[in-house]
Amino acid sequence: MKIQEFMDRLLRAAGENGIDPAEIYYTDEDSFSAKAMDTEIDSYEVSASCSLSIRGSVNGKMGYASTEAFDEEALEYLIRAVRESAALNEAEEQDEIFAGDECYPEIAAEEDDLDGVTAEEKLRMALTAEKAAREADPCIKQSEGAEIQTSAHRAVLRNTHGLKLENAQKLYVAYALPIAKDGDATATGFKLEYGRKLRELDPVRLGREAAADAVSQLHAEPVASGEYRTIIRHDAMQSLLSTFAGIFSAENAQQKMSLLAGREGEEIASPLVSITDDPLRKGGLATAAFDGEGSATFTKAVVEKGVLKTLLHNRRTAKKQGVKTTGNARRAGGMHVAPTNFYLEPGEKTLEDMERDMGDGLLITDVSGLHAGANPISGDFSLLAKGFVIRGGRQEEPVERITVAGNFYQLLKSIRAVGCDLEFPGSSIGSPSVDAGVMAISGK
Amino acid sequence: MELTANGKEQVMLLQTQVAEEVLARAVSTGADFGEIFLEDQTGQNIILRSGKIETVSSGRTHGAGIRIFTGTRAIYVYTNDTSREGLLACAEKAAAAVNRGTGCRPEPFRVTHAERPEEIAELPTEVAAGRKAEKLREADRAARAYSDEIAQVQIRYLDRVQDVLICNTEGVFVTDRRVYTRMSVNAVATDGKENQSGSMSPGGLMGFEAFEKRIDPETCGREAARQAVTMLHAPVCPAGVFPVVIDNGFGGVIFHEACGHSLEATSVAYGISEFSGRLGEMIAAPCVTAIDDGTIANEWGSTHVDDEGMPTGKLTLIDHGRLVNYMIDKMGSRRMKMPPTGSGRRQSYAWAPTSRMRNTYIAAGEDDEAAMIAEMKEGLYAKYMGGGSVNPATGEFNFAVNEGYWVKDGKIVHPVRGASLIGRGSDVIMKIDRVGRDCRQAQGMCGSVSGSIPVNVGQPMIRVSSLTVGGR
Repeated sequence: MKIQEFMDRLLRAAGENGIDPAEIYYTDEDSFSAKAMDTEIDSYEVSASCSLSIRGSVNGKMGYASTEAFDEEALEYLIRAVRESAALNEAEEQDEIFAGDECYPEIAAEEDDLDGVTAEEKLRMALTAEKAAREADPCIKQSEGAEIQTSAHRAVLRNTHGLKLENAQKLYVAYALPIAKDGDATATGFKLEYGRKLRELDPVRLGREAAADAVSQLHAEPVASGEYRTIIRHDAMQSLLSTFAGIFSAENAQQKMSLLAGREGEEIASPLVSITDDPLRKGGLATAAFDGEGSATFTKAVVEKGVLKTLLHNRRTAKKQGVKTTGNARRAGGMHVAPTNFYLEPGEKTLEDMERDMGDGLLITDVSGLHAGANPISGDFSLLAKGFVIRGGRQEEPVERITVAGNFYQLLKSIRAVGCDLEFPGSSIGSPSVDAGVMAISGK
Repeated sequence: MELTANGKEQVMLLQTQVAEEVLARAVSTGADFGEIFLEDQTGQNIILRSGKIETVSSGRTHGAGIRIFTGTRAIYVYTNDTSREGLLACAEKAAAAVNRGTGCRPEPFRVTHAERPEEIAELPTEVAAGRKAEKLREADRAARAYSDEIAQVQIRYLDRVQDVLICNTEGVFVTDRRVYTRMSVNAVATDGKENQSGSMSPGGLMGFEAFEKRIDPETCGREAARQAVTMLHAPVCPAGVFPVVIDNGFGGVIFHEACGHSLEATSVAYGISEFSGRLGEMIAAPCVTAIDDGTIANEWGSTHVDDEGMPTGKLTLIDHGRLVNYMIDKMGSRRMKMPPTGSGRRQSYAWAPTSRMRNTYIAAGEDDEAAMIAEMKEGLYAKYMGGGSVNPATGEFNFAVNEGYWVKDGKIVHPVRGASLIGRGSDVIMKIDRVGRDCRQAQGMCGSVSGSIPVNVGQPMIRVSSLTVGGR
């Protein structure tokens, strides 16, 4: 059955079965990827996929279901599943199906060239990036590949109040993962770029930068355990901010899963820290005029000069707290809360300035194992890290097999400087580098 | 033709004539291998928070992936449209990526159903959600009853019934049904200024009978709460290099990260892994024997056939320290010129398969568990582990300790929070110097290039003579 017909029939069937109001959220995606490895195309992937979720109210209780099949059986399944789901729903605050805002922000369409780039061109770019990495340095002897991905994504929200909203997004992602070897030493490098104009991508530069990253980490050793003055580079800080972004969710706060509950207006971070959630950011990966439940989105300061201005809300959490939604509803099974383009506002200093100001200490460039070594509920983290020794204000030898440990709530307070190098590394969450004060390092 | 799989359950995802036609189209431009993976999966998630059932969501995953090979190049195309026309269009797209004349001639299908050692007593799709919800409430009550410091309990229940059809140009045509049930309890303890959490997540390749055979909601709730409260009153773990005793069950994550991933063809076949080209060598201490076993009835990581249609098996990876096998999928087998091991797995049709672990564990040894702690001067006893990760190229791994205890002069002195363990795989498995007698397994989700899949990790209690402990 055609998707349009499926949606029409589903909304009609919902009404006929006591599911009222009801809402559909439909997404589809076409994607392509090509990966070069050992100077050949290793794999090539093409997909066309779609999925549909429905939520609807039965006797004032909300039920949820989803499908990737669009036949008669799927229609019956969704109706039955929504009714079963609603019947069990005991939540005191129910989600609302929203008739829509009067106006939505204008989002200028991003120009792109993605439809015009052929598969052959993409294959060639992947090969070029992989080759450039190999040729950049004699130590680059292997690689985990170089990949070009393109995707076109569309989301449609429709409900029985007559609301109909649509959002589309096109994107390319390119990355290279060379491996450097020298004697017994092995190091992996990484460089990722993304955007909408693939022909503007320079695959040679991408490969070379990835190679330089790998080579710079060769012969890295742990430092002695102890407390170190520490700068966290933008990419590592972005990993931390992504992992702990949930502490700014009103949903988590109301569920006692965040220590920021009820702390609006209080100083929760260093006065150098401002955090913004900007769904209107040009070129952002989460840029959209409406959120997961159809509320108009807008830009807001979450933290301003260290003071918590607002938590992020959907309609349900806002109603509970007696405030307005911040347009941060996110559908995932039920209705939740998530940041959009969410970032630590950049300061004035370059990374080099901060290193000079610090004198001696460590620069952390990568943290891994965040799904395990960072606890979003306590804020504690103890993470495998990489980086460089900073001596006399300059980057010296590489460091690996160390852990950096701390607590995110405390880290926000101990930030001594914020860099100007804000980046969104393939993510809607971004950060500049920060001078984090003193951190606990475990090494040798 | 109609396929009947194991008694009452009927799986009829695709007719053989259509499969033949689609495969022929996929390899028509010169591919030397073609495969269809077709999936129809129904699942339910239930979330309980603040003592209330908050969300019940049911979902159906449906689609097909077509894969063709030319030598060591793989082409993968997937779609939700599994009609004859949809699959032919998909085959067309795959074929368009190849231009080598005529392809292989598909062999006639040998139609089979995967052999399944377990009996599913209660198919989750036939159990009312209300009965499932009752199990969540039991766990919630037990967690809250444990202590006044428990501020929040979040419980997730999930089940999946995945029907698959895998067929290829080598004559494989096999259907399989995989039934999973799991519950995760996450308890948060607070003193108003600080939060700590504890969790338990048992599950199995089982139906709803899992709640009789394996998952005791009350124990899960109480254990998660006990962990959270214990950690709330624990000082932060000291940092440095210490001996570490790691308990059985989820402790096996150390082998999974430090070694397991680096023995998958995914990295070995490209010569990237630190264990590439080392078959027959002593790569671990002689007390270490490690096994990857897909055959254990009802285990979370077990398989009947892998996602390339090959029957599962039991594979010794390391025999008393000596590397004897890698885990190899079909493409890995081409690159490595070694037979596949039934290790091809994927999250769903939206992922091309690659070599993955199943139930992977260090086999029982002969050492006394109590003595491991009693002989330790100063170090860490890691009772419950969290997840971890590894970079197979460098062997650098990390994992978290969810519940740890500090040991001094052979005695446990107090709990410690926030510890993580890091190292290089090839160093650490050489430093295992004690292996206990009571091997247990625990359930996890493993994420890698072919998505997130259920696996077991396992081991008896072991000791590592020195390991970098992250703390502050």
